[in-house]
Amino acid sequence: MVAQGVLSRIMDALDLETFLVCSSEEEGKELAIRLMKSLGFQDVDLVFIRFGGPGARIRVRAYIYRPGQDYAWVRQIDDGEKRG
Amino acid sequence: MAFERRKILLVPLDPVHDIGLKMIRRGLEQAGHQTLLLPPDLPPEEIVSIMGKEHPDHVMISRTLGYGVGEVLGRFVDLADAAGLRDKTTLVVGGMAVRPELAAELGFDAGFGPGTSVEEVVAFVEGRPYQPDLAGAKKQKKDITAGYAYDFRHGAIGNLLEKIVTDILTWDEGKISPGILRSRLRDESWDVESFRQGKVSREFSEAYAQLCDPVPQAFHRKGEVHPKTRRQTDQEIARLEDYLTKTKSRMSVSKVQHVEGQPKVFIQYGTGCPFMDIAHIKVCEAWGADGVVHFDPSWGARTEGFIGGFLTHQEDGSVITPENLSWIKAALEPSTLWQVRAHRGLNTAETVVLAGKLGADLTKINIAYGSLAAGTDPARLTVDGIEAIRMAVKYKLPFDVVTNEELAGVPAHKAFAGMLIVTALGRRLGARPILQPLFSYSPEVMIGGQMIDNYIDFNAAKIEALRSIIDAPLWPGAPIGFLTQTEDRVQSSMTTSLHAALAAALRVDAISIASSDEAYSGGPIIAASRVDTLQAVAEGFRFFGEGRIAPTSHAQRWADEMVDKIEAVLKEVAQAPSFVEALYAGLLGSKEEGAYPGRGGRGTVTEK
Repeated sequence: MVAQGVLSRIMDALDLETFLVCSSEEEGKELAIRLMKSLGFQDVDLVFIRFGGPGARIRVRAYIYRPGQDYAWVRQIDDGEKRG
Repeated sequence: MAFERRKILLVPLDPVHDIGLKMIRRGLEQAGHQTLLLPPDLPPEEIVSIMGKEHPDHVMISRTLGYGVGEVLGRFVDLADAAGLRDKTTLVVGGMAVRPELAAELGFDAGFGPGTSVEEVVAFVEGRPYQPDLAGAKKQKKDITAGYAYDFRHGAIGNLLEKIVTDILTWDEGKISPGILRSRLRDESWDVESFRQGKVSREFSEAYAQLCDPVPQAFHRKGEVHPKTRRQTDQEIARLEDYLTKTKSRMSVSKVQHVEGQPKVFIQYGTGCPFMDIAHIKVCEAWGADGVVHFDPSWGARTEGFIGGFLTHQEDGSVITPENLSWIKAALEPSTLWQVRAHRGLNTAETVVLAGKLGADLTKINIAYGSLAAGTDPARLTVDGIEAIRMAVKYKLPFDVVTNEELAGVPAHKAFAGMLIVTALGRRLGARPILQPLFSYSPEVMIGGQMIDNYIDFNAAKIEALRSIIDAPLWPGAPIGFLTQTEDRVQSSMTTSLHAALAAALRVDAISIASSDEAYSGGPIIAASRVDTLQAVAEGFRFFGEGRIAPTSHAQRWADEMVDKIEAVLKEVAQAPSFVEALYAGLLGSKEEGAYPGRGGRGTVTEK
C-alpha cells in the first residue's frame, strides 16, 4: 500500500493508544488489531497491552513505511521546497 | 498427584539475552526440576544435536530480539521435526518478541510473551493450571491517621493555636446558618435505609425545601432537576448495573507501592457523569489506586441545598446527590478508600453528614481555603466548618485540610497557618485531621525563585516545617506536581512519578495524583491517561524503594523560615478581633496575594 495524503507524511508508523473495554487480554488483542484494520491499516502490530478488570490499556501500531521502502515524504518535502 | 521431576533444556537462541531463562532456571530448580542451560546463540543444528543426546521433557527457547525471529525459530522447529524429536519433547518459545499466535504458527507447542511470570512457566512444566498469586495483591483499607497523637511539637505555635481555637469557639457560640439546619435535618430525619428502599418522607422533603435555594426547592417539591443536568434513564441504570456486575466479577486490585510504608495513592474523579466516573474508578482500582476523591461542580458549592436523582451532565464535577453517591459507593472495591469533599461551600456540613451516612471513609474541610479562594463568606464558612468538623467526629470521618489557596498566590506559610488553625480546631473537637500541603510549582515559588534549581527543596521544606510543628498525618496534593505538568503525557506522567517518589522519600502518608491529562483543558480526562500516571507512580516507587532523596541545604533553611513566618502570622491572627475578622483583613492571604474573601452565603449567619 502506498501511503497517500497526510498519512504519507508520517515518518514511519502511527501509534494508537487507548483503553479498550474487554473481558480478557486475548479479547483486547483481537479488538486492538481489528480496530486498526477497520481504519484501513494492514501492516499492524500490538506494541503493548496490559489487562486489568475493566479492560486493557493498549498501544497498537500501523507501519506506514518499513525501513527500505519508498518514503513519499522525501519527495513531498522536495516538492514543497521547489514550489516555495 | 505425585510429583514428577522434569528435565528442561533452556536455550537462549539469541546473541546475548539469557536473563529471563536464568530466572526461569532458578524457579524450576527450586521446584525440584532438572535444568540444563545452554550458552547463548548456538546454531539450531547444534541445539537439535544436544536434544538428541539429553532427551529433555521440554525445550524452552528464549528469543528477545524481534528482527528476523520467525525465520530462525522456524528453522529450529523444522530441524527438530526432521530429527524425530517432537514425540517426547515439548517445544516452547518465550521472550519479548514472542506472541502465542506466532509460536503456534511456527509449530511450537506453547509460547510465552512479555510479562510471563516464572510461576506460570513452572505451572506449565508441571502440567497444572496457573493460579496467579491473588493473595499478593490483597489490599486492606488503611486508616491514614493511625498512630498520630496530634501533639504540638512547637510549643509557642501550639499555644497560639490553642488561643485562636478557643476564640473561634467562643465567637461561634449561638450562631446558626441554613447549612447547619440542613445538616442537622439530614442527620436526624433522613434515614439511609429508607432512602435505599426508595422511601423519602414528605415531611423531610418539605422541611428540607424550606432551607434551600430555588433549584433544590423545585426538586424537593416538584421533582425538577437542575437545568444543567439530566436524569439517567431506567435503561441506562440497568445497563450500568449489568456492566458493574460483569466488571466486578473479573476485578482484581493491584498495588502501586513497592515497599511497605510508601504513601497511599488517591485519584480524583468527577467527569460530570457518575457512570463514566464508575468506569474510571474501576480502571484506577485495577491499576493500583488506593483511594478515590469525589469532585463536585463548583455551582454545587454555591447553592443552598442538594437535589436528588441519578444525574449526569457534561461539565466538570459530578453532582452530589444521594443517588449518585450511593451508586459510586456500590461500585467500589472493599479496599478502596472513598473521600467526598465538603470543604468550600454552602453545603459543607451537610456533605459530611451525607458522606458519613453513605459510607465514605474521608472528607475534606478547610475554612480558610473555602473562605479565601473558593467563594464562601468567611463568617458563614466558619460556623458551617465547625459544624462540619463536629459531624466528621460523629460519623468518624477523618478529613484533610487542603491548602489550594496557594494556587491563587497565597504564600505557603499563610496557607499553612490557616490549615493549622483548622487542624487545631479539629484536634480540640476530637476529629482526625490530615495536613494537606501542596506539592506544586506555585505562584509564590515562580516569583520567589525557590524552584529555579529543583522541585525537591521547597516541597521537602514544607514537610519538614509542618512536622516540626505538629505530630499529624500528611497527604500532599492536590494533585502533586500541580503546575509542573504539560499536555505531553510522558512529561506529565514523569513529573507526577517524581513528585510521588519525593513524597515516598519524605515518608508521607498519602498523595493525590493527577492523570496525564492534568494540563489539558479541552475536555474531560480519559481512562488511558489515568493509567499512565498510576503506572508511572508505580515505577517511581519501584525505582526508589527504601532509597532516599537528599534535598540541598536550602530545604532546612526554608523550613526554618517557614516556621518563623507561620508563628508570626498566628500571632497576628491571635491579636485580631476574631478569626473571621482575620480572614476579612487578609492575615491568612490578602487580595494582593490573590485571596478574596468570598461572598457566597454572606449575611446568612444568624444568632439562635
